[in-house]
Amino acid sequence: MTTQRDKETVAPARYHLRLFVADDEPNSRQAKETLKRLCETCLKGNYTLEVVDVLEDYQAALENKILVAPTLIVLAPPPPITIIGSLSDTHKVLEALGLPASEKNL
Amino acid sequence: MKEWKPTYEELEARLSEAEGTLRAIRSGDIDVVVGDKGMLIMRAKAAEDALRETQKTLEAVVETAPILIVMTDAEGRILLFNRACEELTGYAPQEVLGKTVRELFLPPEWADIVVERFADPFNPTLQEPYINPWLTKTGEERLIEWRYKALPAPQGTGYFILGTGLDITERKRTEEERARLETQLRQAQKMEAVGRLAGGVAHDFNNMLTTILGYAELALHEVSPESSLHDDLLEICKAARRSADLTRQLLAFARRQTVSPIVLDLNDAVSGMLKMLRRLIGEDIDLVWMPGHDLWAVKIDPSQVDQLLANLVVNARDAIPGVGKVIIETHNVALDKAYCASHAGVVPGEYVMLAVSDTGIGMSKEVLEHLFEPFFTTKEMGKGTGLGLATVYGIVKQNDGFINVYSEPGQGTTFKIYLPRFEAKPAEIPVGKAAEMPRGGRETVLIVEDEKAILDISERILKELGYTVLIAKSPEEAIHLAEEHAGDIHLLITDVVMPEMNGRDLAERLASIKPGIKCLYMSGYTANIIAQRGVLNEGVCFIPKPFSSMALAVKIREALERG
Repeated sequence: MTTQRDKETVAPARYHLRLFVADDEPNSRQAKETLKRLCETCLKGNYTLEVVDVLEDYQAALENKILVAPTLIVLAPPPPITIIGSLSDTHKVLEALGLPASEKNL
Repeated sequence: MKEWKPTYEELEARLSEAEGTLRAIRSGDIDVVVGDKGMLIMRAKAAEDALRETQKTLEAVVETAPILIVMTDAEGRILLFNRACEELTGYAPQEVLGKTVRELFLPPEWADIVVERFADPFNPTLQEPYINPWLTKTGEERLIEWRYKALPAPQGTGYFILGTGLDITERKRTEEERARLETQLRQAQKMEAVGRLAGGVAHDFNNMLTTILGYAELALHEVSPESSLHDDLLEICKAARRSADLTRQLLAFARRQTVSPIVLDLNDAVSGMLKMLRRLIGEDIDLVWMPGHDLWAVKIDPSQVDQLLANLVVNARDAIPGVGKVIIETHNVALDKAYCASHAGVVPGEYVMLAVSDTGIGMSKEVLEHLFEPFFTTKEMGKGTGLGLATVYGIVKQNDGFINVYSEPGQGTTFKIYLPRFEAKPAEIPVGKAAEMPRGGRETVLIVEDEKAILDISERILKELGYTVLIAKSPEEAIHLAEEHAGDIHLLITDVVMPEMNGRDLAERLASIKPGIKCLYMSGYTANIIAQRGVLNEGVCFIPKPFSSMALAVKIREALERG
């Protein structure tokens, strides 16, 4: 497998997210699923999501000063925010995206 | 590497990021750690997962285990306290964590003993079962069987103590209950053994007493009342009767006493005894009689009521050192299932209670345990036989009743006897006996008895009374005699137990030869068909050995005049 950079939607988008994962390991898989769900519910049509597998492309991890995977970096809107872990705390993710937490979103 | 000059905000962001990273690593919320050389990507997951799973399993085991699991540090401070511990003690973990086992759970008298055991924590004997109690939050003492193990602390020096415990309070209770029942069984067997002995002795003894009494009474008729010999003979009669009372007592406690229960009012029976009881207890002790109202009837041999009262009152008297009171009460009592559940051997129903209380010295627990055992006595040598309360016990049991004792040292004693209610009208207690000896008419009496001495004396008494007497040493001889005898035979007097045939069968055989023949049974022997059931059929004429000539004369008339 080559470096995987999935462009989920076309630009221009308001939200730019980069998720670093380790293949399909449990926490990484959970982070991917959670994030995709949140994006589809709250940011539909208005986001760019890149998923980087650090096992395939550790250079990208070094460049982005990534220590562990999974890690989510919200690149836009600024300032950049980093969230570590499987994203099981969706409140925190929504907060980082500047979105209100509601029943519907969670 | 490019110099990095972060702003304050950037620094703060990196710090919180680092904290987040650490938290995520600790909580296992990541899959890999990326090393700074790029190549060093560590797969942390597998090991962590395994560890986490193991930990989870362990925690679940500890938490749900039905045994008590507690872990302390070297000072006895509690670090772990599982749900079983919570349930047993009533404490929540937050109430006990950090506190010592000693301050919360050990009864004061155990504290030093238990703590001393941990002086050498790695001694293997610590793992052997060890029983020490724990106190619950409400102060209840539970008996716990512990196994302890010292575990070296993971870092540095020191150790933890892991204790696993089983609550054996109920098991101990059951064991004690079983031991108690075994003791009761042994006691019952002992009573049975002595009963057999008593039965055997009583047979020979009563036969001899009948002979002694019979000849002494016959001799009395021959001697003028002014003669000094007359008084001597009276003394012989008295001694023989006293001996007969002793035999009767032996038989009573062995529950082998042949009884003739009648329906009676216990109040009447007690009232009739009061005069005698007052004489028994002397002047320093008050006898208080508190009869219950509308007392239900009971069915019991009146002589057994006498025995019960005499024994209990004498005991009460002996428990009172100086002045005091003996109280006799009766009551109707209905016992429900709840009461019976907590009192072994009690059946729900309606009872008449007879209580004898005293204000005496009371009894210790040890004495209470042995109270009804035959030959158990606290009285000094020669004062008591140890048969009194055994007799009471035997009588109560024979009448399907039960007995409770309440006693505390210094607080007096109460015996409560419960006799089952009998639903019928009480009979009149026969009082007094015919003052004159009823003489015989022209009737012919056949006596069957394998003991020659008894046969001889009976024959002499009956002839003196004016009867025509036929004698037989065995049932076979009796049947032969009846077949040969041309005239009527009006009455058969027979022993109940004889080698070839019992008295009842003999009576039936003779009735077919001489229709209309009446029957009077006599017996001193207790291990017989009648006494096995303990009760004579109502309506059967019976005379217990030993008997006086007067008693025999009265019984013969009673038997002959019966319709």
